[in-house]
Amino acid sequence: MTEYLLIIVSAVFVNNVVFARFLGICPYLGVSKKLDTALGMGFAVTFVMTISTAITYVLYYGILVPYKIEFMQTVMYILVIASLVQLVEIVLKKVSKSLYSALGIYLPLITTNCAILGVALLAIQEKYSLLLSVLFAFFSAVGFILAIVIFAGIRERLEDADIPKPFKNVPIGLISAAILSLAFMGFSGLVK
Amino acid sequence: MRPVIFLTLAALISAALLATVSDFTREPIAAAKAEMKRKAIEQIFPFEVENMKTVTKGKSVFYEVYDSENALRGIAVEADTDKGYGGTIEILLGVSPEHRVIDYKVLSHLETPGLGDKIDKPKFRKQFHEKILEGPIWKVHKDGGFVDELTAATISSRAITDAVQNGLEQINEHYSNTAEQ
Amino acid sequence: MKESLNILTRGLVQENPVTKMLLGLCPVLAVTTSAVNGLGMGLATTFVLLGSNMVISLTSKLIPDTVRIPSFVLIIATFVTIVDMLIKAFSPELNQSLGIFIPLIVVNCIILGRAEAFASRSGLWYSMLDAIGMGAGFTLSLLLLSSIREILGAGTIFNMPLVGEDASTILVFALPPGAFASLGAIIALMNALEKKKGAAA
Repeated sequence: MTEYLLIIVSAVFVNNVVFARFLGICPYLGVSKKLDTALGMGFAVTFVMTISTAITYVLYYGILVPYKIEFMQTVMYILVIASLVQLVEIVLKKVSKSLYSALGIYLPLITTNCAILGVALLAIQEKYSLLLSVLFAFFSAVGFILAIVIFAGIRERLEDADIPKPFKNVPIGLISAAILSLAFMGFSGLVK
Repeated sequence: MRPVIFLTLAALISAALLATVSDFTREPIAAAKAEMKRKAIEQIFPFEVENMKTVTKGKSVFYEVYDSENALRGIAVEADTDKGYGGTIEILLGVSPEHRVIDYKVLSHLETPGLGDKIDKPKFRKQFHEKILEGPIWKVHKDGGFVDELTAATISSRAITDAVQNGLEQINEHYSNTAEQ
Repeated sequence: MKESLNILTRGLVQENPVTKMLLGLCPVLAVTTSAVNGLGMGLATTFVLLGSNMVISLTSKLIPDTVRIPSFVLIIATFVTIVDMLIKAFSPELNQSLGIFIPLIVVNCIILGRAEAFASRSGLWYSMLDAIGMGAGFTLSLLLLSSIREILGAGTIFNMPLVGEDASTILVFALPPGAFASLGAIIALMNALEKKKGAAA
């Protein structure tokens, strides 16, 4: 039980995907200021991240390892992720046209979200069981949602602030990320 | 249909190409791994590592180091502890045939940079030199032992003490002490 | 000739993939703890970029339109796996420092970006130059950021110590917050310089 709790707390706070692992920076910086779009993106990422980690885990231990073709890991993983994103696109188009158009170009870009591939690879690297891997993936995505929601809120405030021209947009976003990252570092030792 | 055929073909070409490169690099990769292990061991022993033998006894992995006359000069063992501040700390401990600590190297850790990560600095490592398992109290000063803990990193210091002790225990369990012969 | 030179050099400053186009930021922040790592990552990425640009330039007419992106991704993933195996075999220390960011090269938006925007519609020679130029620009940004972080955070450059053994270094630069802040500062500086150039022109 404690092992699961540790993984959860670690994935969301201590080893946050964005602030500690440096994954998913591009969508993090590009995320909309509108909370609902940010959340929509977050949920899409959560879905893809969790399912892809599960599928790639099964494929890795079920096919790659027994047939000694571990070198196909990168190719196989990215094709699984690309297919899943395609699936999400099709489903979203049918189910929620508004969210589909709001996300726009960012939806197919989930394929290149390094957080998804990164988390799938980490699950194997850390030698988690299938259950732990799925838990790890899901809560890493929760950490990602936390990061982009906080940032969406900050961006809204930054709109009204008087920022020097060179810092407008991405640079000030990075500085905010620096401060948030510093804050999240305070979580280390939480799992002691 | 054509797109599917194309992708399948492309995937097969990719697999074939990667299988070839994998075969080509398999040996160099294994050799590189062994070389890195050897380099780590060379770092902890002050003498020449002429010959090295890897021995697995139960769950422990030992690296026996011999000189040019095939005399045993030292044994290295991988030890770890989960008492680190940030999690597991893995070390490579080197001892003499008389089971005295020579030195150790931290292989992986998650300790606080600038504070706990000083466990790998010579100043901290030196105090374990020449120590044996029985005799000294294997704790930090705060707990009544001989280890002078790092400022603001008591937990990390405790963890390393535990890891070194763990390594010595493994050595004692699987190797007879030449000093007692 | 002029066109070739333009394609080769635009990736360095005017169209720098990191500071101007804001692509490939994940590895830029993660591996720039030391100049050696930054350089290694830059060269590995350039290798993949060159390979994928070349193959895509040569085969783009054969690829059915509906599977364009998956095909590009497949080609890129193949080159990434090749470079991964080469690094594991011939530079295990680099493999240890770069970790999962080597396979993550496959999702570096720069590579897919150049494939889609340029290599798939240009000839072999220009595609090669574009790859080298963009790769060089990427490596340059990596070197810049990692030098700053290494000098301030560890007191060394390319693992050569610059200060005494017990000197204090500004540790935060070696950690995530420092990475974010340094990159933000660099991009802001580039923006400011570009504005000045624009005003003077």
